[in-house]
Amino acid sequence: MLWEIWGGHKAGFFWQGVTLGAGLCFAQWKRHGVSELLAVELTIASLSAFIGGYLHLLSCFAYVEMDAAKVKVGYPGRLLLKPLRTFHLVLAPMLVGGLAVTTMLDIWLAFVLKPLGFLPAYDLCWISAVLLSFFWWMQALAWGLPLVRFRSFVMVAAALIHLTVGVMPQLPFSISPAWQWGTLGALLVSAVSFAWIGLNLMRQGRGDGPSRISALWSGLRFARARTSRKKFRSAFAAQFWLEWQRQGGLLPGLSGGMALVGFPFLFFVGFKWVGVDAPPPEVVLILMLIGPLLLSGMLGAALAKFDRLDSTRELPGYISVRPMTNGGLVMAKLAMALASSALTLLLSVAGFCLCQALAGKGTLLSKAGLVTPFGPVSYMTGCAPALLLLIIMTWKNLLAGIGSGLTGRLWIANLFGAWRGAAGMGFCALVLAAKLYEDFREALLHWLTAILIVCLAAKIGVSIAAFAWGLRRNAITARAIGWMAGGWTVCGIFVAGYAGHVCNALNQPGLRIWVTLGAFLILPLADLAIAPLALAWNRHR
Amino acid sequence: MKFPSPSSAEAVVAVSDLSRHFGSKAALDEVSFFVSRGSVLGLVGENGAGKTTLIKHLLGTLKAQAGGVRVFGLDPVADPVGVLGRVGYLSERRDLPGWMRVDQFMRYTQAFYPGWDEQYAGQLLEQFQLDPAQKIKTLSQGQQAKIGLLTSLAYRPELLILDEPSSGLDPVVRRDILEAIIRIVAEEGRTVLFSSHLLDEVQRVADHVVMLQRGRVVLNGRTEEVRGDHISAVLAFAEPPAKTPVLEGAHAVAGYGSEWRVLFGGSRLELETAAALIGARVVEERTPTLDEILVARAGGKGS
Repeated sequence: MLWEIWGGHKAGFFWQGVTLGAGLCFAQWKRHGVSELLAVELTIASLSAFIGGYLHLLSCFAYVEMDAAKVKVGYPGRLLLKPLRTFHLVLAPMLVGGLAVTTMLDIWLAFVLKPLGFLPAYDLCWISAVLLSFFWWMQALAWGLPLVRFRSFVMVAAALIHLTVGVMPQLPFSISPAWQWGTLGALLVSAVSFAWIGLNLMRQGRGDGPSRISALWSGLRFARARTSRKKFRSAFAAQFWLEWQRQGGLLPGLSGGMALVGFPFLFFVGFKWVGVDAPPPEVVLILMLIGPLLLSGMLGAALAKFDRLDSTRELPGYISVRPMTNGGLVMAKLAMALASSALTLLLSVAGFCLCQALAGKGTLLSKAGLVTPFGPVSYMTGCAPALLLLIIMTWKNLLAGIGSGLTGRLWIANLFGAWRGAAGMGFCALVLAAKLYEDFREALLHWLTAILIVCLAAKIGVSIAAFAWGLRRNAITARAIGWMAGGWTVCGIFVAGYAGHVCNALNQPGLRIWVTLGAFLILPLADLAIAPLALAWNRHR
Repeated sequence: MKFPSPSSAEAVVAVSDLSRHFGSKAALDEVSFFVSRGSVLGLVGENGAGKTTLIKHLLGTLKAQAGGVRVFGLDPVADPVGVLGRVGYLSERRDLPGWMRVDQFMRYTQAFYPGWDEQYAGQLLEQFQLDPAQKIKTLSQGQQAKIGLLTSLAYRPELLILDEPSSGLDPVVRRDILEAIIRIVAEEGRTVLFSSHLLDEVQRVADHVVMLQRGRVVLNGRTEEVRGDHISAVLAFAEPPAKTPVLEGAHAVAGYGSEWRVLFGGSRLELETAAALIGARVVEERTPTLDEILVARAGGKGS
């Protein structure tokens, strides 16, 4: 089992080792004394590395298998037929996974986060035990999913229960340690029992039958299918619908769920429970608006897939034989990503309004002036561009890696992922070096405009070449090129204009040239130009 | 690139010296053939012979490493829209979106083909007894073949490509599918290319047959001519041969004692001459089935 996990996630473990190593270096560095600002940056970098690496670790050791054809997630089916006792099938991955995730957490907490100033309010043993229970419950629910109805609700409920149990030692009313550990013990035992019962029933073939609720729902759908025969207006509309169904709803669902349920619960119920004041509204707003940006960065890696459960990344047969150009397929994906980003941000704003209403501190409108460069008088005018900027940035994050991902070759996607990681770290190192060494900073600032212009020229050059090649190979139409190039130009002008306005508002007009060039650099064009060619390579192997 | 020209410019599919390697393995080796408009071509061969690989080249999902492919005179890789808009395809692996409902998949597919005939689609839906509200992932393999066939037939494509349409199907469904194919071909004079390892099916339906073996075309012609070019015969020996007799022109020789059954490629006169050379005489003969020809050739050297 360990061999299987290792074999499937070698690259991921390598990067996890790198992030842990970086975290350890940051911790040592801080211990030797650095400026306050640098200490904050080191802490943020370490925390980001920890969160990213740890989420990956959880997914590796969850030991679930996805069946894209049957659209289900569950225990690896091949093992159910092995001559092993169900108890062993349950316990082995739970123990291995549990050991890995708790050990890793302890290492991060003890050797990286604690030296960086993150002193957990709880006993390390308690945190590990709560995490272990949560991990086991998620495993049990993921393995036994065919038997669980309303799975999303059950998973959210399990998460909330663990959150509540986790903060038990800090609750205003006293709960004896015996009760605390007893509750946690019951959760651990019930997770193993639930997994064992679920797997046992599945081995007896009792997992796939529809429930009465499912049957009723199916009947309703049947009635709807009989009456609803609305045709798609075009092939593009049909492809957009398919993309939306498979990918589009994920980001708005997660962000909207957090904004409309998670944050209100956490800030206005959870904080009261532990006797802490809710954070100020601007912090809530920033968290709600930054959340989709971070989430879109994480989800962007899978956007190139045509089915998020598909592990092969190949273009599914039922799409590859449709009479649509590769450029058309890519455009449907881009449109889906844009619609998904827009809906996400609108839901986040709605969540913020809800939080404001719950807090009784006015509405969004009274606070919106805080985040716009136009001041509170014209906050409505200021709000719209700010929202548009966030939508564009979320969209940009979703599209990160679309060019490499559409090749359908995992090694290329991994290679580009590693390259992006290395480039990001290189950029951080550059910024750090500029902060530490004044000479270097001077030289960098002297050459920065030229560097940015060269990078932008290279980007435009690569894009023109890719567009021309795609046009010659019928991979893309002139109209699609017009949309992509036009969209990039308009978005670039908007972002540059907005950023320039902020520079003026901050009395930093000297930064305008850099933010203008930077705006055109960060918005994807070469990736979009390469995408149809990459898809052609995937489609015509 | 020279394409094999049929008797006229009516070739819907033209494949010329097509070669494809996966690593060191040759999946297709200088394959050449054409399919003329209005014909039903059966692509046969044992597992791994290269049938699906060949079909993928016709659809443009695989790119020719050597040689060329033209469908309706177009290169399916260079002009996928031009080719795929006129082709109906049923995949061997079915390749259907399990998460969609039957009606959703029909609506989705319909959007790509302006010629979609709603009335015909409804008729097929009823004939195949498919529930439009059912999720595709819950359909049986046979039902999945039916929905795949429905969505590839409903826009009345000029060329219908079916990759192992009978795979995993029960005989009743097989008949349903074959009847549908025969109906559209008979009624509208369109072209069908289908691969199968069920030779009785091919023999019943196809008017042309191309047999692949280890990536090479070993037989290509009208079904009846291919069968007519072979003889299944029983040879009698005066004295039982000590070892398996070697008959020139035979693809397979099996039996024991003084009577041996052979599958011979050639005319009756050639068979008699060859038999006489090894001291045998023909005591029984008939036209072999495609199945017998394939088995004999697959068991032989592939020549």
